[in-house]
Amino acid sequence: MSDTVQAKAPVLSVEGLSIALPEGGDRPFAVENVSFEVKPNEVVCLVGESGSGKSMIAHAVLSLLPKSVNIAAGAVTVAGQNPAKLDRQALRRLRGGEAAMIFQEPLSSLNPLKRVGRQIEEMILTHQKPMPSAIEVHERVQQLLTQVGLPNPKLLEKSYPFELSGGQRQRVMIAMAMANRPALLIADEPTTALDVTTQRQILRLIDDLRRDRGMGVLLITHDFGVVADVADRVVVLRHGKVVEQGTVEEVLRNPKAEYTRELIDAVPKARLDEIRRTAVHPTPLLEVIGLEKTFRVKRGLLQPPREVVAADGISLTLHEGETLAVVGESGSGKSTLGRMIMRLTEPDGGAIRFNGQDLRRLRGEALRQARKQLQIVFQDPFASLDPRQKVGDAIARGPMAFGTSRTEAMELARKLLVRVGLNAVAADRYPHEFSGGQRQRICIARALALKPRVLIADEAVSALDVSVQAQVLALLAELRQEMKLAMIFITHDLRIAAEIADRVIVLQKGRIVEEGATADVFTAPQAAYTRDLLDAIPGRDFFDQPGFASVTGALPTARMSS
Amino acid sequence: MIRLGSAATIGLMALSRIAQLVAVILVIATFNFVLVQAAPGDPAQVMAGQSGASDPKLLEDLRREYGLDKPYAVQLASYLGRVVRLDLGYSYRQRRPVVDLILERLPATLLLTVTAFCLALLIGTTLGALAGLAAGSVLDTVFTVLSLVLYATPVFWLGLMLVLVFSVTLGWLPPFGYETINVKLAPLEHALDIAKHMIMPVTSLAAIYLAIYARLMRSSIIEVAQQDFIKTARAKGLSGPSIVVGHMLRNALVPVVTVAGMQAGALVGGAVVIETVFAWPGLGRLTFDALLQRDYPVLLGIFLILSIVVIVLNLLTDLIYRLIDPRMTTGAA
Repeated sequence: MSDTVQAKAPVLSVEGLSIALPEGGDRPFAVENVSFEVKPNEVVCLVGESGSGKSMIAHAVLSLLPKSVNIAAGAVTVAGQNPAKLDRQALRRLRGGEAAMIFQEPLSSLNPLKRVGRQIEEMILTHQKPMPSAIEVHERVQQLLTQVGLPNPKLLEKSYPFELSGGQRQRVMIAMAMANRPALLIADEPTTALDVTTQRQILRLIDDLRRDRGMGVLLITHDFGVVADVADRVVVLRHGKVVEQGTVEEVLRNPKAEYTRELIDAVPKARLDEIRRTAVHPTPLLEVIGLEKTFRVKRGLLQPPREVVAADGISLTLHEGETLAVVGESGSGKSTLGRMIMRLTEPDGGAIRFNGQDLRRLRGEALRQARKQLQIVFQDPFASLDPRQKVGDAIARGPMAFGTSRTEAMELARKLLVRVGLNAVAADRYPHEFSGGQRQRICIARALALKPRVLIADEAVSALDVSVQAQVLALLAELRQEMKLAMIFITHDLRIAAEIADRVIVLQKGRIVEEGATADVFTAPQAAYTRDLLDAIPGRDFFDQPGFASVTGALPTARMSS
Repeated sequence: MIRLGSAATIGLMALSRIAQLVAVILVIATFNFVLVQAAPGDPAQVMAGQSGASDPKLLEDLRREYGLDKPYAVQLASYLGRVVRLDLGYSYRQRRPVVDLILERLPATLLLTVTAFCLALLIGTTLGALAGLAAGSVLDTVFTVLSLVLYATPVFWLGLMLVLVFSVTLGWLPPFGYETINVKLAPLEHALDIAKHMIMPVTSLAAIYLAIYARLMRSSIIEVAQQDFIKTARAKGLSGPSIVVGHMLRNALVPVVTVAGMQAGALVGGAVVIETVFAWPGLGRLTFDALLQRDYPVLLGIFLILSIVVIVLNLLTDLIYRLIDPRMTTGAA
């Protein structure tokens, strides 16, 4: 921050803002008495877990709140105007003109039936007066697409959103937001749906644009890593109230609020010194040899089907009580690997040996018995439970299918619910009565009910808030110890892999590019791809990830690129 | 991903569909033939019965004359052979080629059904969109109740009530028929005369579909309005109308087009009832009469033509679907 910045009037100021929720909710206010400012050329991060009200504030800035909630007290001032008091015309000039917004999910945030070029044009045509000519608009679109680093803008503007990758879509959203040179950019979890490497590129892009244009950025995130990388100032929210705010150095180095400290502590970090060397049995429990899988996606009549290689000769071993992390970006084939081991997806070639048997040869009853010992927990705890089945039933069904009596199975279900940190009475309730973290605990209980020897966790904590994530990871670590579980932990988040795994496999396009003990992979990565991934971990400087430790004693650089 | 020109892709798709169409028509022709044979009674019995004498000798002669004494397989083979040559046979009852009978009636049916379909689609989606945009308002409630009533009203009953009110009581509209007979009219007046005759049958036929499309469009609009890209459009500073026209309508129409395409065929079926109620000289009446008279060649011909119409409509739906939604063109979602 330079002095000139300090001197300028804020582009956004929020004063004593309270947003009332409709009656009958779990709390009267979504946001209570929140005040903060965003100055030109400054990145302010609004941090909090789900339900903290951070998105509500972002929506209030552009007066985009749902009809059922309204501002009860306080005021928002954007570029000198209060959006709640503006008439329709002026509000429209503000939205997309002085202040632009980008959202978490770039695919659903773009109209699926409109070419992306047209969607950007629309932004220009709505705001620029007098109306520029068609040629000028077209040139401007090309220029914007180039500025956000999209290759081949000519081809790209003619594409539909579904034809682009996640990162490209978010770049299109940013190009759209930049079209009228806004003074304020609101980015609501802009990188949460993206891979680490893409996340870094997008954050860099936002930061570059901020610097070029001196615009203020309000960045909403749940990730303290992201905060450490890009923020000038931080506002920490909990249950709609500001618990702490200040410069990034103040808040991250010397958090005053207990809650902030908890959040920072909950960021998964490599605990390499703590990782114990598991006493390795001579024979592995699970052995995967040269697994192959290619998906063929049908296209038009005359086009050859598109081939996606999900597994290209993957081999791995897993011993009793060991945790193996499989990391990679989306499309690397890590989920397919998990599904193939479960035989939910049939591999094209290779062998899977489990406990001395060839899993791929098993049929019928033998397969059923083997599957019992291999259980999986999926990413989305909302979609993985039958909404019309009581939690107890969901857990008991497995053992019952293998001959346990209903009474015994229910008894077991109650015990397991207590073991995963819930109450035994939870058995008689339905999944919708639980939070995301609780549901994931239920899913874990369900998997454990069959007394598996291998547990596959497919992005099992990715959908959870950091603090909840930390609790679930701790639970898994305990269970592993207790039940001598072997775990395959599939994740895109290297920080989680570093926290929980004994060994790590790095997948890229269905191939293992690196494999080794966690400490080795994280401190001395061999493959360039692994280095890229590690490089992209948000907040790696601040949180001092091994292998990338900054020079001892040096303060972390708050900005990733300045 | 590189996209083929969508026009080229759609052209190729149309070609392959037409090849499928021919195969499907032959299967349908066979199926129709078997179905009609399975019904009790044959035309010879009906004819013999109507001429007053159920004389076995006459029955035998009639059967031989019309080839009904030959094995089913032979009858089927000769029927399919003729279908391929576009010869749909000869109506023994009406003593005219089936093709002539159908072609004579087809325009009246198409006029009725196409008009009803277009009106139902146009008015239904418009009302549905308005209701959806104003969800929860008085207007929405009125539209919803109205469409529920229309949806629940039997088609023939609505037709009869319309006749009762507008023809019998008020005397505003002609109660039945296609045109005023025995009157020479100038072309324009003739067209108006037909239009006047069409009002009630079209209304009766369109009502239920209008209700379906309105309800569908309403829920579709409500769903689209909650999508993230509508929030994006609002955050872009677009005005209400440009959000509706530029972002909501096309997305909301996708499910409506799907259902409309499937139902367009059923609409032709619904015409049978309406044409009977309003003495409309179309295929529906022809079907009804042919059924009563066991006029197999006519029935087979009509079934075949209706099947072709349904298949062609489905093909059109697919093409329109692909034009509306680019994700369908490449087959990748």
